[in-house]
Amino acid sequence: MSFLDRLMRRDLHSLAAPYALDALEPEERRRFERHLRGCVRCSAEVRALTEDAVRLAWSTAAPAPAVLRERVLAAVRTTPQDPAPQPSRARPAQSSSRARDDWQPARARAPRLRPLMAPLATATAAAALVVASLFAVQATQTRDELDRERAQAREIAHVLAAPDARATSERDAQGRGIGVVASASERRAVVTVSGLGTPSGGRVHQLWLMRPNENPLSLGLFDGDTPLVADDLSTRATSLAVTVEPHGGSAQPTTQPVVQLALESVGFGE
Amino acid sequence: MEADELLVLVAGGDQKAFEELYGLVSGPVFGLVRRVVRDPAQTEEVAQEVLLELWRSAARFDPGRGSALSWILTLAHRRAVDRVRSARAATEREQREGRRAHHPAFDQVAEEVEAGLEREWVRRCLDRLTSLQRQSVTLAYYDGYTYREVAERLSLPLGTVKTRMRDGLARLRECLGGAA
Repeated sequence: MSFLDRLMRRDLHSLAAPYALDALEPEERRRFERHLRGCVRCSAEVRALTEDAVRLAWSTAAPAPAVLRERVLAAVRTTPQDPAPQPSRARPAQSSSRARDDWQPARARAPRLRPLMAPLATATAAAALVVASLFAVQATQTRDELDRERAQAREIAHVLAAPDARATSERDAQGRGIGVVASASERRAVVTVSGLGTPSGGRVHQLWLMRPNENPLSLGLFDGDTPLVADDLSTRATSLAVTVEPHGGSAQPTTQPVVQLALESVGFGE
Repeated sequence: MEADELLVLVAGGDQKAFEELYGLVSGPVFGLVRRVVRDPAQTEEVAQEVLLELWRSAARFDPGRGSALSWILTLAHRRAVDRVRSARAATEREQREGRRAHHPAFDQVAEEVEAGLEREWVRRCLDRLTSLQRQSVTLAYYDGYTYREVAERLSLPLGTVKTRMRDGLARLRECLGGAA
């Protein structure tokens, strides 16, 4: 190892405490995490320092507002979970005793090093929670696509953060589902569908807003299971419906809905 | 049940276990985010993101690498710091552009804390650090400054700040050791 290498390693070691305190800039954080993967000594040190830092967290505990609990638990009901990060590790089983058996060998394989904090999604995490598919980012995606997804993720996060955000969902016996997180005050909703499959012959799934004494209003076409964000919703709206329509969509529904969802429980329809 | 066991059940999709986990960790998560982010509306947003992320990413938790609570609070801290830094960057941008930055009235939430044994203990242990150790640790952890920013604020060389942070945490560990 050259003198310069040693010097650089020592410099990286000295970042352990700032890292544990989250006091590195993003680029430095990434560099340090790369170093951590190959450095047994510093990964032990970082773990100890992180435990120390967490003690500082405990002293700030304060009761969370009740409304936060409602919102989080409502969102959890319609939010799919990420799979375990590594195929070699069994997904934790339903019973905790089995799961414990699963992790024992993992612990024995100690030198398998990962950064202490596996990077989790992005800062717009709340958005991703609505539908994981949104963040199933492929390497082939263009910058534009990523930007568009990020913009949509922001919109979704915005709906989720509304003080009156509520969620509801329906699933029929064939497993076709529709879910919504909506805010009546923001007049916005995030709508997701699942289990609808891809219609044949280039046809599409179109989302409609149903209002009393008015024609259905198109809210857009679904692209697979990517969620749709609907703006400027009439608070008199009573339900959502999804129909199969010809390529490009229709001005008015031409088929019976495949799934429907009442909006009363999310604060619409007054 | 302990957070570690609950988190494993949550990773398997158990919503009841999540509710129980929420009961255990929402206070620490919310309090920590509030301490770092300060703005009440943003605090709720970030706390909600973090708590939902627990549900979504529970399978990423590796019990072999530390306790569930430590994983959860590390995640909460990371998200809170990211938020406060981007908010600061935006404020600086606005000021550079000559616009008057709009500051919501911050209530000094951090100070209206309810007395708890752990809180009292941590405060006492922080008091035992040297002033530079204490400031280096708290400016980074509670206020979300990078160590470069801490060095600037305290007019210290970078190397000194890194050392103060490490020594500060080590002394804190010694002092808090008996409190667990």
